[in-house]
Amino acid sequence: MPAHDPSVILPLGLTLNFFTDTGFWSGVGVLAGIYALVALGLQLNVGYTGMTNFGAAGFMAVGAYAMAILVLKAGFSFWLSLPVAMLIAIGFGLLVGLPSLRLRADYFAIATIALAETVRIIAQNADSLTGGNQGLFCAEGGAGACYNDAWTNLSTTIEGWLQSLGWTNPESLAPLLIVVWLFVVGATLGLRFIQKSPWGRVLRAIREDEDAAEALGKHTFVYKLQSLAIAAAIGAFAGFFLALDLATVHPLDYEPLVTFFAYGVLVLGGLASYWGVLAGAVLFWTILEGTRFIGFGLDDTQIAALRFFIVGLALIVLMVFRPQGMFGKREEMVLGE
Amino acid sequence: MNDADVDAERPNGKPILEAAGVVKRFGGIRAVNGATLDVREGSITALIGPNGAGKTTFFNVVTGFYRPDGGRAAFQGDQILGARPHAIARLGMVRTFQITKALARMPVIDNMTLAAPDQPGERLLNVIAHPRRVRRREAEVREQAIELLEVFDLARVADDYAGTLSGGQRKLLELARALMTRPRLLLLDEPMAGINPTLGRRLLDHMQRLRADEGVSFLFIEHDMGVVMNHSDRVIVMAEGRVIADGEPHEVRTDQAVIDAYLGSGTVVEDERA
Repeated sequence: MPAHDPSVILPLGLTLNFFTDTGFWSGVGVLAGIYALVALGLQLNVGYTGMTNFGAAGFMAVGAYAMAILVLKAGFSFWLSLPVAMLIAIGFGLLVGLPSLRLRADYFAIATIALAETVRIIAQNADSLTGGNQGLFCAEGGAGACYNDAWTNLSTTIEGWLQSLGWTNPESLAPLLIVVWLFVVGATLGLRFIQKSPWGRVLRAIREDEDAAEALGKHTFVYKLQSLAIAAAIGAFAGFFLALDLATVHPLDYEPLVTFFAYGVLVLGGLASYWGVLAGAVLFWTILEGTRFIGFGLDDTQIAALRFFIVGLALIVLMVFRPQGMFGKREEMVLGE
Repeated sequence: MNDADVDAERPNGKPILEAAGVVKRFGGIRAVNGATLDVREGSITALIGPNGAGKTTFFNVVTGFYRPDGGRAAFQGDQILGARPHAIARLGMVRTFQITKALARMPVIDNMTLAAPDQPGERLLNVIAHPRRVRRREAEVREQAIELLEVFDLARVADDYAGTLSGGQRKLLELARALMTRPRLLLLDEPMAGINPTLGRRLLDHMQRLRADEGVSFLFIEHDMGVVMNHSDRVIVMAEGRVIADGEPHEVRTDQAVIDAYLGSGTVVEDERA
């Protein structure tokens, strides 16, 4: 019996064909890549600087909205809009950093989530600029140019390359999947490089004890701002990719849940490990999306609820058997207490 | 005999730290209430006084960790009161903490190399643009760090996490780390507390040597009167947020105000050097 035969029924009512549905898994891979980017920024803030940043969705939102607005309302080319939107997101990251001068960890976390929500609620209500609850996609109600036109062209070109490499019928998401993961790997290597430097050592010192770092002459506020600025720049790219993946920029896609999912990725992968983030993102989305296909004779809403139940269970099991996450260091977790 | 030695013999050199009328309030309590004191260059000065006298609060104010409510303080002539802690540390006045702040999830060696000044690699731009300069400085710093760790008997544990050290070892690490910054004045908050007498003696010897070789000055809070009377050349006594006495150990020991406020009439301090 061939493995891709959809009639094969596995235990739990799983069907085999979903394992071989490359279109579906390309979509999952893109999402995993986007969340890997968000969580890489969080790893820098939380895992290496000790800053409980809950504003990651805000970084994405500022990046995605800035890009779409620059293209659709200010006439920027898509390619020019990317670096400019990234700079705007960095500016927002620095704004998020300001309260860190005075607030200790838990209060800072609340301030960051508030700032991210402010962005989303402004986006929801500033109709003329952001399209409000309609979101942003194309100019003139869909008739004019769209923010992702340049990407669509590039995507077609990449599909052509893939075909010339022998993939006869590439998935339409394959180009985005490839580009996203090239960015993920690039960001990981870059972050690892700067983390190993004396600069990265100062960040770890701040994570351990900010007063001790100050007492040794380190201007900790500047380092914390840099940590947030880099996370914001990476988060902006996650926002660009989400905007390309969904083909719309909509306030509902930047709810705090996005940040919490990214934290789920971080916890699964383990703190203070950049490669862990990648593994965590793949595992998180494989569990979350793979469970779509559970049968049990349940209806759709029941399955939707069950999926989150399974993700929660997976996290609990992890906390029991491997509390440091897949790539985290156990000694560091124990000594941190 | 070099210049620093001459200074050591002549502890009434010019002041390195001058504090005048320093005030720190917490609500209605004046923890430091107009403290005025000088620390002379090249001296080993002890700061003593009963619990709650404001000694640690005074440290926190002059090193920038607390915002002052009044007064002035100058380090080597630069006004420092109200400046940020890192800025004060960079001027050469470096403090340790009463409750040690070992950077637990970092190796001992990283605790040390972190503290070294002039590491271009602490700027992100240099990490990317000048990796060779960063590596060269890192090699120097590492060598200095190992040397200092050997002095404090910590070289064997250089690669262990600082969080695995004993309380006494952490104290020594914190002092060694402070020395990595090449300070001119070290403010030590109860450096002897919790370390065994052998290591304590070593620490005191090292303080003497640093003063002699490099002219480092010390201001240290200490409760062990034996250490204070035998190893410092100036003693400043605080009580209720003010300085109530300032002088050489033998002067302070017989000062009636000090006996009333702190020493008590029954205190007998053996002179180890006698």
